[in-house]
Amino acid sequence: MGFAMIAQVYFWIFAAIAALCALGVFASRHPINGAMCLIGTMVALSGVFSLIASPFMATLQVLVYAGAVMMLLVFVIMVLNSAKDHSTPLFDGAGLFGILPAVALGALLVRVFVGLDKKSVVAMNPEAPRGDVEAISKTLFGAGQHVGGWALLFLGVGLVLLTAIVGAVLLAKRHLDSPSEPATIEGGH
Amino acid sequence: METIPLIQLQILSAILFVAGLATVLMRRNLFFVLMGVELMLNAANLSFLAWSRVQSGVSTMEGQVAPLFSIAIAAAEACVGLAMLLAVFRSRESLDTDAYSRMKE
Repeated sequence: MGFAMIAQVYFWIFAAIAALCALGVFASRHPINGAMCLIGTMVALSGVFSLIASPFMATLQVLVYAGAVMMLLVFVIMVLNSAKDHSTPLFDGAGLFGILPAVALGALLVRVFVGLDKKSVVAMNPEAPRGDVEAISKTLFGAGQHVGGWALLFLGVGLVLLTAIVGAVLLAKRHLDSPSEPATIEGGH
Repeated sequence: METIPLIQLQILSAILFVAGLATVLMRRNLFFVLMGVELMLNAANLSFLAWSRVQSGVSTMEGQVAPLFSIAIAAAEACVGLAMLLAVFRSRESLDTDAYSRMKE
């Protein structure tokens, strides 16, 4: 049982967890259950990223997605205490129109994968460079063929994040014209 | 060192993307709409990383770098989306997506 075999077995385990948790997100009733399923998907995907030699992205997946983004989401779910919200149905009639694009995309993908000519499948390159911090930083900031391209985009993403923070604070504030709002039982957000 | 075949990775990515798309389109709860978007972004990241390791003449490190930006945009999207959700919930006391159709009021 060589390394490839073990990697394949691990891939099936991670893929099964990811797919089942994705279905759990779709079908779960309470947002907390959905968030937990989504965290399961993300952690399993992080394992898949490790298997395809992308350790940096696997780390970021756990740190940023499962750590920061999902923490924020779970925190907001708990702050809103949406368990009281029983008026929102799971699905409704308008959701039926959503089946159409999803099924169409799924059928298209199945058609592509089933009708695939085995000889035309692009082979994986075992010698491809690992996606570790050094290689990624060289691509991002290194002087080479794409001088400045990724670095400028990196700066732009920083600006986008800053804008998002300011926008989120402005949106979540209760009254824009009252800088110091009195502390209530609910807590001042 | 052998690697996982590309086709299996792409199938997993497709499954996750379709699940996310169905969640966004069919669920009524705003939290689930946001989670479906995150799911679709994750599927796209997996596709990027898989394609970055195929047999080709050029170095494909770009496929390793693109998910970095995708993750950053996802963080910004979650930040603004949750703030909007808070604002809407505060005035409507509802998580129904229909609450968004009356945001101007």
